[in-house]
Amino acid sequence: MDKSLVITGGALLLVALSGCGGVSEMTRQQVARSETAVQQAQGAIGNSEAGAVELQQAKERFAQAQQAVEKKDEQQAQRLAVMAELDAQLAVAKSQSAGARKAADELLASIRTLREEAERNSSR
Amino acid sequence: MRRLQIALILAGTAALGACSSTPERPIEELETARAIVAQVESSPRAGVAAENISNARKSLGTANQLMESGGKLEDIRYQSLVATRNAQIANEKILLAQAKDELAQAEGERQKVLLQARNREVEAARMRAQSLEDELKDLQAQKTERGLVLTLGDVLFDTGKSSLKPGAYATIDRLARALNENPARQVQIEGHTDSTGSTDFNQTLSENRASSVQAALMQRGVSGGQISAMGKGEGFPIASNDTAAGRQQNRRVELIFTENQAGTTTPSMSRQ
Repeated sequence: MDKSLVITGGALLLVALSGCGGVSEMTRQQVARSETAVQQAQGAIGNSEAGAVELQQAKERFAQAQQAVEKKDEQQAQRLAVMAELDAQLAVAKSQSAGARKAADELLASIRTLREEAERNSSR
Repeated sequence: MRRLQIALILAGTAALGACSSTPERPIEELETARAIVAQVESSPRAGVAAENISNARKSLGTANQLMESGGKLEDIRYQSLVATRNAQIANEKILLAQAKDELAQAEGERQKVLLQARNREVEAARMRAQSLEDELKDLQAQKTERGLVLTLGDVLFDTGKSSLKPGAYATIDRLARALNENPARQVQIEGHTDSTGSTDFNQTLSENRASSVQAALMQRGVSGGQISAMGKGEGFPIASNDTAAGRQQNRRVELIFTENQAGTTTPSMSRQ
């Protein structure tokens, strides 16, 4: 995370230094949004499996978006940042739905156990 | 569905860097986007992901338009990917809502199962209590203000002695089993005699007879805490001591059954 911050900072600095020849303010904001989304996804997912692939893709696209900003490739930077943000959102959504699915399955299993216990007790 | 997702991931990874060329054959990303957007749109729970579905439609619409107007392959692919990603996010939100619904339903179900188990336990306890009542009724215990009183007659003891005859064992066995099943029930054992012989002898005999019934129950596993035994001597006749039949009735051991549970009054205690 720190590394990516440094990279972003560096990228933004480069953009700033290059002055009016850089990408648009709108694209810079989109890149910043994608970075926030990646960080949030990282925090939400942690080391869990669900969403890990999408998070990795979000990180890669965010890095590519930063490179595009450096190259002043407006369209690539904008599109990669949008995709990185969507990847990060998908990662979070996947980890949330997997977590709820797991909780539901565990609860259903505990009910099965309760039922079996009750049957054993009543047949005793 | 799984194959579709793998295809989506591969497509997603490959697409952005692709060069643009005139599309002669179907564009895979667009086909995928059309399929998955249609799928989430048709979900009965589409409402939980309205914004993502709306975004997906918009991008898919743009992609379709570009396709018709001969737009750049790169643009078509990008719009298709955005549509697909939004539809995938919508799909996960729908799955999340489904799982949450199931969780809520299962929680209700769990409460129901727990309640059923409790009810079954109460019912089992009631059945056990009922079985003791049935045994006592079967053994012709009398309902009195002291509780249920079962009388073991003189014929179950050796004459002038305290040892139980084998004829008493069947009754003792049944009582022991019923008491074992009902640890809350208490039995008070009282020995009585007729007026023949000295008072001291009668007192001792009544104590010994009560004790031997107590011992027989404890040998069959009844907890000592459930039983108390005492000799009442000749002072509590239930018939005249002037006739042989009356005297035989007076020579007896009484078992008085009470409930030893919080809140239950035990009338027999107040008589002591």
